[in-house]
Amino acid sequence: MLNILIAGVGGQGSVLAAKILAQAALERGWQVRTAETIGMAQRGGNVTSHVRMGNAGECVHAPLVAKGTADVIIALEPGEGLRALPYLAKDGLMVCATTSIPSVMTDLSGEAYCTEPIIAYLASAAAHFCAVDDAAICDRVGSRKVLNVAMLAVAVQLSAGADYGLRGAIDIDELKEALKNCVKERFIALNCESVDIAVETLQKA
Amino acid sequence: MPKKLLMGNEAFAYAALEAGVRVVAGYPGTPSSELVETVAKLHASGVAQGVHVEWSTNEKAALELLAGASMAGARVLFTCKQVGMNVASDPLLSLNYVGIKGGCVLFVADDPGPISSQTEQDTRRFADFAKVPVLDPSTPDEGYAMMREAFELSERYGTPVIIRPTTRICHASTFFDIPASTQARPLIDGGFQRDSKWVIFPRRAYQAHAEITERLPRIRQEFESGAFNPVVQHGDDPARGIVCGGVSAAYAREALAMLEAACDRTGMLAPSYRLMQIGTPFPFPYEAAAAFADGLEDVLVFEELDHVLEDGFIQLAGSHHLDLHVHGKLDESTLRRGENGTEDCLGRLAAFLDCHPAGIADLSALDQPGAPEPPMRPPVLCAGCPHRGGFYAVKRALGKKPAVLCGDIGCYTLGNAQPLDAIDTCLCMGAGITMAQGFSVAEPDRACVAFVGDSTFFASALTGVANAVYNQHNVTFVILDNATTAMTGSQPHPGTGQTLMGPKSEPIDIEGVLRALGVHCTVRANPLRLDEAVAAARQAIEHPGPSAVIFESPCVQLIKPALPAVIDPDTCTGCGACIRAIGCPAMGMDTDGACVHIDASLCNGCGFCVDVCPFGAISAPAREEGGEAAC
Repeated sequence: MLNILIAGVGGQGSVLAAKILAQAALERGWQVRTAETIGMAQRGGNVTSHVRMGNAGECVHAPLVAKGTADVIIALEPGEGLRALPYLAKDGLMVCATTSIPSVMTDLSGEAYCTEPIIAYLASAAAHFCAVDDAAICDRVGSRKVLNVAMLAVAVQLSAGADYGLRGAIDIDELKEALKNCVKERFIALNCESVDIAVETLQKA
Repeated sequence: MPKKLLMGNEAFAYAALEAGVRVVAGYPGTPSSELVETVAKLHASGVAQGVHVEWSTNEKAALELLAGASMAGARVLFTCKQVGMNVASDPLLSLNYVGIKGGCVLFVADDPGPISSQTEQDTRRFADFAKVPVLDPSTPDEGYAMMREAFELSERYGTPVIIRPTTRICHASTFFDIPASTQARPLIDGGFQRDSKWVIFPRRAYQAHAEITERLPRIRQEFESGAFNPVVQHGDDPARGIVCGGVSAAYAREALAMLEAACDRTGMLAPSYRLMQIGTPFPFPYEAAAAFADGLEDVLVFEELDHVLEDGFIQLAGSHHLDLHVHGKLDESTLRRGENGTEDCLGRLAAFLDCHPAGIADLSALDQPGAPEPPMRPPVLCAGCPHRGGFYAVKRALGKKPAVLCGDIGCYTLGNAQPLDAIDTCLCMGAGITMAQGFSVAEPDRACVAFVGDSTFFASALTGVANAVYNQHNVTFVILDNATTAMTGSQPHPGTGQTLMGPKSEPIDIEGVLRALGVHCTVRANPLRLDEAVAAARQAIEHPGPSAVIFESPCVQLIKPALPAVIDPDTCTGCGACIRAIGCPAMGMDTDGACVHIDASLCNGCGFCVDVCPFGAISAPAREEGGEAAC
């Protein structure tokens, strides 16, 4: 069983990221369930998408990832990574975009929203952690819209040949094939480019 | 058939269409809305043939319309969220008495948590109260099968049938085979057949009550042997039983699989137990439950919202004189409110089955004390939301005058959040309109203002407005008209004229309706122009008797954003008055606190902040000639 949680703020594309992972799992012939938070939470609130796939032929019953069982958390925002941390398995992988999205509440409270201590804490708490300079990747692609797909690519690449995270269950080519089935034709090239740039950034680092 | 990832609600739409549904009607409400939207999309693309689909003005209107269509012999489907069932309860209770002809299925989505609702009410109780069978799916796949069966059941017994999924079923996705096209079934008997049974009278009701009490045991009997109440046993001679319903069945199965895998890893003997899922909570399958309970000493019941299955087992133990201990919500063996979950079921099952393999107890090991706090991120009105202007203008117009601000159900409930802090009450759909009248009677010196959205206005405010005019209450209605039903995902309504069938009807003019109902003081204004909006609010509030302001500006989800607003850093003093006044999510203080920053990726360029800055430090292209956002 692979449990993946995608955490972010409404509008960052966590639902599409979950669809792409589900599509990749379907191509493998695995049973898959996904679940999203929809409704009031979307109005600038935090959103999570859950993806569960029976990669060893298991039956997937529950739509939600249980706390302490996520093999991978893809955090599209540092504070949301922190909020999702209790879901991470002891040997889990977290990839976390470093660009923060401020909240009206922090502005009103007068306390600055500092991400450095959050990222430092996540790095110490997660068994496997990767802070991703998402701004650099998105700038190179020329769009913030590819954040979700770029972060998926980071998680897939870090799991290649590893005994944690996605444990090599899905490779970069499968990710690209799956996204072709999930995004509009005119955005396929842009998203594939973001996958390549994300992988390239990791290889340089 | 190709496989497609479908959300539960989308899958239920396909299932109903495959069952030949002919008329689909409902009122939007999370988590139910996507079903009607999916039928509309499939109708528009030509996949769903022969179907009529509509958003009705409210749930009562939808169910009454469907009652007519069903009596004409059409298969019909009603959709709403759990509180919508309250609105449609009047037709439902009588409809079950007179009966139906074409299969009549009510899709009523419950919302444990609650995640986006006013109550944690349980539609399984409503089914019992209305004496209508209810099916309760544990996964989208099972809901798909139940939807198809529900139409058959409904026609077989001449009864409405409720399907009650919860949020985690409605909004979970999995892959389904989808048909290339579907065709609505023809009308039974070619159309309506006159019969005195369709007319409810005390005499007819007495006779119908007998029909109901005769058919429910037959439906119960069918449920006893049906596929929706599966039982499995692990190990020999178990003394412990697990009963579950809805998504809790999926959580319990998942938790049991985790326990068994952990036992396997550590060489422990897996626990013995029997598990029963009850997918037909009413009429309760007592004989199947008795067979399940045979030989058991204790049962633990996992269900969300009310203790319906638990009550069923307690009744069973009493009526069958069983030496059976029933554990659940009533003895606090399970959660009394909110959602269940796999991790919660796991802990409770480990204790119940006395099975404690290593590696199970330390879930959430990363949930350590001493961690930094994640930022608070409550839902807020979108950047550029016109409601923000409406709320701010009314508060400015009221100044220090004692007032009560009655809110209502929709995006604009978020007007309660800081810094707008513009809502004192919120009860149920349309209630603000009439509650304000109660305040005005009890406290005549207060300004009594009721905010209502355009969709809610048509759904349930009209009788309240008539009441204010009839009884001459001194209240002000503020209609926040953003040309859509925004909170549930931008559905059209009578004020837009857009229909799900394609052709546009004449939009119903809100001001015309108010005037026709006798509200003589009505003022229209653009809420994103502060002076205009404050003047309009002041005029209406000062008018003795019922008055109305109609703030007209489209929802940001409907329009292309204009160019973002710009801060002049030389003029901005960093006072933060704009943030404290309107709290637009696109605005924030720069890290050094010297200047306000506008996030160009969030700002939709509405320009309202231009009017709020006391130093004229903000400009917006939308305020230049021809710069308004385009629809």
